[in-house]
Amino acid sequence: MRARVWPLAAGVLIAAAALVAVSSLGPSTPPTRAAQAATLAGELRCPDCQGLSVAESRTAAAQAIRAEIVAQLSAGRSADEARQSFVDRYGDWILLRPTAPLVWLVPLLALAGALVLVTTWMLRRRARPVSAPATVDAVTRGRLDEETEALDA
Amino acid sequence: MRPWLRWLILPVLVGPVGWLLFANIGVDPRTIPSQLVGRHLPAFSLATLDGATLTDADLAGRPAVINFWASWCVPCVDEHPVLLDAAARFGGDLRIVGVVYHDTPDAARGWLGRYGDGGWPDLVDDGSLALDFGVTGPPETYFVDAGGVIRHRVVGPLTTVSMAEGLAAIGVGG
Repeated sequence: MRARVWPLAAGVLIAAAALVAVSSLGPSTPPTRAAQAATLAGELRCPDCQGLSVAESRTAAAQAIRAEIVAQLSAGRSADEARQSFVDRYGDWILLRPTAPLVWLVPLLALAGALVLVTTWMLRRRARPVSAPATVDAVTRGRLDEETEALDA
Repeated sequence: MRPWLRWLILPVLVGPVGWLLFANIGVDPRTIPSQLVGRHLPAFSLATLDGATLTDADLAGRPAVINFWASWCVPCVDEHPVLLDAAARFGGDLRIVGVVYHDTPDAARGWLGRYGDGGWPDLVDDGSLALDFGVTGPPETYFVDAGGVIRHRVVGPLTTVSMAEGLAAIGVGG
């Protein structure tokens, strides 16, 4: 049994390492300026709409922001610098994705907490001794036998 | 499970959820905090409807009200008398600057002809000044003190009350 487990564990480890290596490499070619602009427009909230990104909206403000993203990237600024320039003027409000790490951590922590709770609860349930069979005294036993026979008859 | 632990579960679960539900009651989800309040007004150099050029340096030394508006903006009609009134009352101590937001000069001139031209300069903005101010949509008004620092912002149509608040923040009237 143990001899079979080790190769399997090694295989899983190698696969996991390969996955991490590949995912950290990212795309081999850097994104084009248009792709960068489109990504950034998708991350910014359209100021004069409800719940739309700059990329999705056709309002004047969204068009102006898209134009400025392109202008900033063309001027040689990075996407991060361009994003920051909008945060400086509109605040974190302009970002559709929350930047606070807590917002991302809380659901994970809640899930981990729930898993721990459920696991301990199930383990305890399993460990609980099965209750001893009830003892039946002779009189009750006799009555039970009689009633069963009466039912069978 | 220990009995005291069981009593802890309810507050631990209900507390944060309750806080999430009730913390933002009374907060208008559409209000956007301004990053510009307390900062120096952004630099600009733009043409006015009259063909002159106005820069941020021209505003130095006098408190100013910068009002973003458009001819297609319905609430701008409602707030216009408030601006005209302020111009009439504080004319000498106060500078009013309109910024025509995503509109054509002709449409803006027509609108002023219909609802009253207060005589203050109106800048024609391609949207970049609005971006620099963090404008979310007209009407939106910024109150700048004599030192060029933005002290107050009103999103939506001005009322006599919000105008008085803004003017008080830049030391006009009161």
